[in-house]
Amino acid sequence: MSKKFSGVWGTFEYLDELTSAIKAVRQKGIEPTVLSPCPRHEIDHALGDRQSRLPFISLCAGALGCLTGYSFTAWTAADWVLPVGGKPIIAIPPFTIIGFELTILFTALFTLMGVVLLATVDTLKNPLPSSVKKYVRFQRDRFGIVIPCESAKLNDFQVLLNNHGAEEVHVENE
Amino acid sequence: MSDTKLTYAKINDDLLAMLEKPHPSYFLLVLGFLVALMLGVLSVALQVDVGIGYAGMSHPIGWGFYITNFVFWIGIGHAGTLISAVFYLTRAPWRNAIYRSAEAMTVFAVMTAGMFPILHTGRPWLGYFLIPYPNQRMLWINFKSPLAWDVFAVTTYMTVSILFFVMGLIPDMAILRDEAIRRGQKLKALIYTPMALAWRGTNHQWLHYMRGYLIFAALATPLVFSVHSIVSWDFAMSSIPGWHTTIFAPYFVAGAIFSGLAMVMTVLIPVRVVFGLEEYITDHVVQSVCRVILFTSMIVGYAYATEFFIAFYSGNPFEKAIFYFRPFGAMTDWTLLGDHDFGFPQIAFWLMVFCNVIAPLPLWRFKIRTNLVAVWIITILINIGMWFERFNIVGSSLQRDFLPHAWGSYWPTIVEVGLTIGGFGFFFTLFALFVKALPPMAIMELKEAIHPPMKGGK
Repeated sequence: MSKKFSGVWGTFEYLDELTSAIKAVRQKGIEPTVLSPCPRHEIDHALGDRQSRLPFISLCAGALGCLTGYSFTAWTAADWVLPVGGKPIIAIPPFTIIGFELTILFTALFTLMGVVLLATVDTLKNPLPSSVKKYVRFQRDRFGIVIPCESAKLNDFQVLLNNHGAEEVHVENE
Repeated sequence: MSDTKLTYAKINDDLLAMLEKPHPSYFLLVLGFLVALMLGVLSVALQVDVGIGYAGMSHPIGWGFYITNFVFWIGIGHAGTLISAVFYLTRAPWRNAIYRSAEAMTVFAVMTAGMFPILHTGRPWLGYFLIPYPNQRMLWINFKSPLAWDVFAVTTYMTVSILFFVMGLIPDMAILRDEAIRRGQKLKALIYTPMALAWRGTNHQWLHYMRGYLIFAALATPLVFSVHSIVSWDFAMSSIPGWHTTIFAPYFVAGAIFSGLAMVMTVLIPVRVVFGLEEYITDHVVQSVCRVILFTSMIVGYAYATEFFIAFYSGNPFEKAIFYFRPFGAMTDWTLLGDHDFGFPQIAFWLMVFCNVIAPLPLWRFKIRTNLVAVWIITILINIGMWFERFNIVGSSLQRDFLPHAWGSYWPTIVEVGLTIGGFGFFFTLFALFVKALPPMAIMELKEAIHPPMKGGK
């Protein structure tokens, strides 16, 4: 890690203590990173219900898929005209099936890529200290909160976490 | 999951215990499935070596066991997406314990299904002809053909199911990674670390992940209904009596959900007993699946009746004839036993009616729905019945069409029987390997479903 991390992190056994700690930290003007073994709406509410931009990526991908489906089939039909029984060369109903399937396919592919991309960007923007990564109970049964701050405020947040019932509190000033 | 005794740590430990070194009997089971799979491989080798003529198909029956197996396995694949997507959107909490296995079944069933049309082409090494690309004379595939729609529907379905499955696995891989590190298992940690894609369970990751999961569920829901509809149009777009009906799409979809859920129960009841998962795959879960099975059974039974009524009501002599031949054969006499031509299609028809309409009826009883042995037997019967339903649609309609002198009959050869057994072998081998290699239940979702630990009570 080239960038040094300065901040406090703590672990919680109970969800309600965690959410009250999140609210207290946010009142001090800092957005903490929260770790949890499964998604909980209580955490989202405490963090202010931020929305993901993922649906925008999915919508664009769906539109692209739909357009590809119709235009590709229409283009291939017009590329070598094969008249059968006076039926239309570019026929909308059968091409709708290809259009529909490609809409779903493109949206699914781009949504998964979008999840990976957005999550990676957010993770890089909010780096975790290496000691957090070595703590192996966040995927098991512990909640965690990581508060990045200047060295002057380290003590304040340490006290804050302790007051909110944190199980362990670690100060990082690498 | 209302059981308050479960905790986050207990869920981790219980489900990781399933991935421990297996009992010797497990290897025996896998060996059995592999033998079935090898039978299929041998049949493919025979068919490829001698040619498609080695199978029993001949004019006018060009679609025999191969396409029957294809439609059957695509149908089995529907339960996974139904449970993982439709029941996710409708917030059915009993899905959590069974959705991962059902989703794995979807992936394996669609893989099994996909092999059959390619083998049925007779020259499977030219299977890439199905992909839309221009040939030497710059001709493209015909997008007005239901078979081209099928290629798009099935490949899209397979891709989306695999992506959905992989996406659900990411947080669980992080659990496996951290548990391996915690327990000092270096090799496992080395394997699971790249699979976890640096997942830490931060709020930033959950935010995009959960939104993506919702979008996937919303995409998979129309997809699951479209796939079997499109498969049904392989038949319904033709003018063959017995195939040319508008009821086919909903009829196929209901049948697919019916057979898929039956297969989920056939597979998961032994898993529950072997691993002692009563706390997860509870009686309530089994009962809920049984209710959906019962519901779809009624839809399927209704569709059978409608087909017969429409054949009668249409006044079309060809349509009437095929629906007469299906149950009774090409008869000279009006009694069942007096028929000299009571062949394979008639056996298929009566098995289908018994297994799909009559056998599920005991599920109306609460006592039967909660009796694992009874449910297991009924679901196996349903699987058999649904296979024969697919054969009934594919085989019997082709047997008798407009011109009596072009009529023919069909009897499968060793190749088709071997391939059918091989298909089951392939599916069950993959599933058996899956149960021991990846967490067969979504650990993260089980945690989400229980009450979170609260200092101040609930």
